[in-house]
Amino acid sequence: MIYTILYGFTIGAILYFISIGLSLTFGTIRVINFAHTLTYTIGVYMLLTFIGYYKGFFFISGSLAVLVVIPISYVIERFIIRRLYGESLDYTFIATFAVTLIGVDTIKWIWGVSPYPLSDPIGAYLAVWGMTFPLYRVFIVLIAILLFFALDLFFKKTIVGKIVVAALEDKDGVRCLGINVDKYFSIVFILGSALAALGGVLYAPISSIHPYMGLSVLLLSFAVVIVGGMGNLKGTFVSAFALGMVMAITARYWSQGAETMVFIVMAIVLIFKPIDI
Amino acid sequence: MDKGKPLQTRSDKFREPPAGLMSTPMKERRMTDFLVIAACFLLLTPILSAHRVTDFMIFCIFVMSFDLMYGYMGRLSFGHMLFLGTGAYCSGLFIKYVSGNPILAIFVGILGACALGMLIGLIIVRTTGACFSLINLAFNQIGFFLVLSPLRGITRGEDGFGVRVSSFSFLNFANPTFKYWFVLLCLLLVFYLLKRVTTSPYGILIRSIKEDETRVKFLGYNTFFYKWLTFVLAGCVGGLAGTLSALNYNFVNPNSMDVHSNVGVVFASLIGGAGNLYGALVGGVAYMLISNFLPIYIHRWEMFLGFSLLIIVFKFRKGIWGNIQGIWEYIQKRKGVGRPEEGEAVKR
Repeated sequence: MIYTILYGFTIGAILYFISIGLSLTFGTIRVINFAHTLTYTIGVYMLLTFIGYYKGFFFISGSLAVLVVIPISYVIERFIIRRLYGESLDYTFIATFAVTLIGVDTIKWIWGVSPYPLSDPIGAYLAVWGMTFPLYRVFIVLIAILLFFALDLFFKKTIVGKIVVAALEDKDGVRCLGINVDKYFSIVFILGSALAALGGVLYAPISSIHPYMGLSVLLLSFAVVIVGGMGNLKGTFVSAFALGMVMAITARYWSQGAETMVFIVMAIVLIFKPIDI
Repeated sequence: MDKGKPLQTRSDKFREPPAGLMSTPMKERRMTDFLVIAACFLLLTPILSAHRVTDFMIFCIFVMSFDLMYGYMGRLSFGHMLFLGTGAYCSGLFIKYVSGNPILAIFVGILGACALGMLIGLIIVRTTGACFSLINLAFNQIGFFLVLSPLRGITRGEDGFGVRVSSFSFLNFANPTFKYWFVLLCLLLVFYLLKRVTTSPYGILIRSIKEDETRVKFLGYNTFFYKWLTFVLAGCVGGLAGTLSALNYNFVNPNSMDVHSNVGVVFASLIGGAGNLYGALVGGVAYMLISNFLPIYIHRWEMFLGFSLLIIVFKFRKGIWGNIQGIWEYIQKRKGVGRPEEGEAVKR
C-alpha cells in the first residue's frame, strides 16, 4: 500500500507539471490548448537525442531538452495561439489540434514510430523502515513540491507573476493600466510549455516513449484542470495529486480501469459543479 | 469567470443570420435536391467503386448527425464516435446473440444509441463550450474502455467480432449492390428528415440557441429540453450510421468507438461548411477522398491534414459549401442588378 501511495504521488507530480501550463493558458487567454502536450512529447524526444550525445548524463540532457522546447513553444505561441485570442472556443480547439497533428507527424518523420525504452537514471533505492523505494520517484515528488512553492513565490513576489495573477482576475482591467498583457501571456505560455517538457523528461524513464504519448496524458491533464478549476493554481496542485492517487489506487486493484476512473471522477465533478464557459 | 465575454465573441462571429433562415423550403426544390444528391453519389460510383461509395455514404450520414449538433446547435462534441460505436455494438451484439434479422438489428442499433443519448444527454447538455467537448470526450473514453475491458466477455475486446446477417425476404446484406442501394436510401431518408427538422420552427429555435441561448430562454422557451432533444436526435442518426457500418463491414471492433477518430468528423464538417446539410455531405465526401487517396500519394498525410485544418480555421471558415453559396449569391445579385424585373431572385 505504501508503494501505491508513492506511485500515486509520482503520477500526481507529473500531472501537476503538465496541467499547470494548461490551466494558466486557459485562465489567461481562454484558449483550450490541445497542442500543450506536444511540447511534452518534443521534450522527451529531445532528451532521447541528447542522451545519445552525453552518454549517461541524464540531468544535463534533461535540462537541455527543456531549453530546446522554449523556442519551439514561442513559435507556436507567436503564429498560432496569438491569432486565436478572443476567438470562439471551437476554432481554438481545432487550430491547436491541427498543431498537434503537425507536430506528431514531424516527430514520426524524424524519430520513427517505434517506441524507445529508457532506464531509470538514478537506479538507487532508498531504504526506510525495512522497505525500499526507488529514489527516482521520491526525487520527482520532491521536485513537484519544490516547484509548487517556487511558482507560489513567482506569482506572489515578482512583477511578471503579479501581472499574470491580476490578468487571471480581470484582463481588461490590467490592460487599462497600460500594461501589454499579451506579452506577459506569451511568457506564461512558454513557462507552461517548458514545465510540460520538464514533466515529460521526468516521466520518460518510468513510461514508454512513442509519438502519441502526449494524447493520453493530455486527456488526463484536462481532467486535472477541470477538477481543479480552470486557472486556479492551488486547485490544480491539489487535484493533480488527488487524481494521481485515484489512478494509483485503481491501478492496484484493477489495472485497466486506472485512466477511465479519472474520467469518471471528472464527469461527477462536472455534474455537481458545471463550469460555465 | 465573467459570463458576458464568451457570449460576446459568439455573437460577433455570427452577426449575419445563417443562410438557411432566409430561404423558405419549397417542395419542388426539395425533390430536385434528392435527385441531385442521388445522382452525385451514382456518378461517383463508376469513378471509385461501389463498396467505397457505400463507405462514403455511411460517413456522410455520420457527418450530418454531427453537423446537427455542431453546425446547427453550436455545440462542438469531441466524442461523437461514442454513438457510432454504440450503434455498431448494439446491432452487432443483437445479431450475434439474439437473431440475424437485419431490420430488427438496425432498430436495436438506433434504439441503443437513442437510449444512451437520452441518459447521458441529461448530464452533458447542461454544459457549454469547452466543457461540452471535454465531457463528451470523457464519455467516449469511458465507452471505449467499457467495450475493451469489462465487457470483454461479450465484445471480445480488441479483436472485435464478426457480424453475420441472415437475409430477410428481399433484404440480402451479403449482396454489395443491395447494400449500396440500401445505404443510399438511408442517406436520402436521413437527409429528408434532417432537412425537415432543421427548416421547421424547432430548427430555427436550435439555431437561435447557437446564436444566444440567454435570449431564447428569455423568450420563455425551455432551452434545456430542446438541447436535449437535439442531442438525442444526433445520437440516433449517429447510431444509424454505426449500425450501417457494422452491416457493411460484417465486423465490429473497438475502432468504431476510438476517441482519436473524432477529429475526422470535425474536419469533415468544417471543410464542407458547418451548419448546412449540403455542406456536411460535401465535407464527408471530401474528407473520405482525402483520407482514402491522399496517403497513397503523400506519405505525411497527417501533416497535410494539420495544415489544411489551420488554413480552414484562419482563412476558409465557411468551408466548401459556404463558398459555393457565396459565389451563387454573388451571381444572383449581379443578375438582379442587370434586370431589375427579376427582383424575386434577390429577395430569396
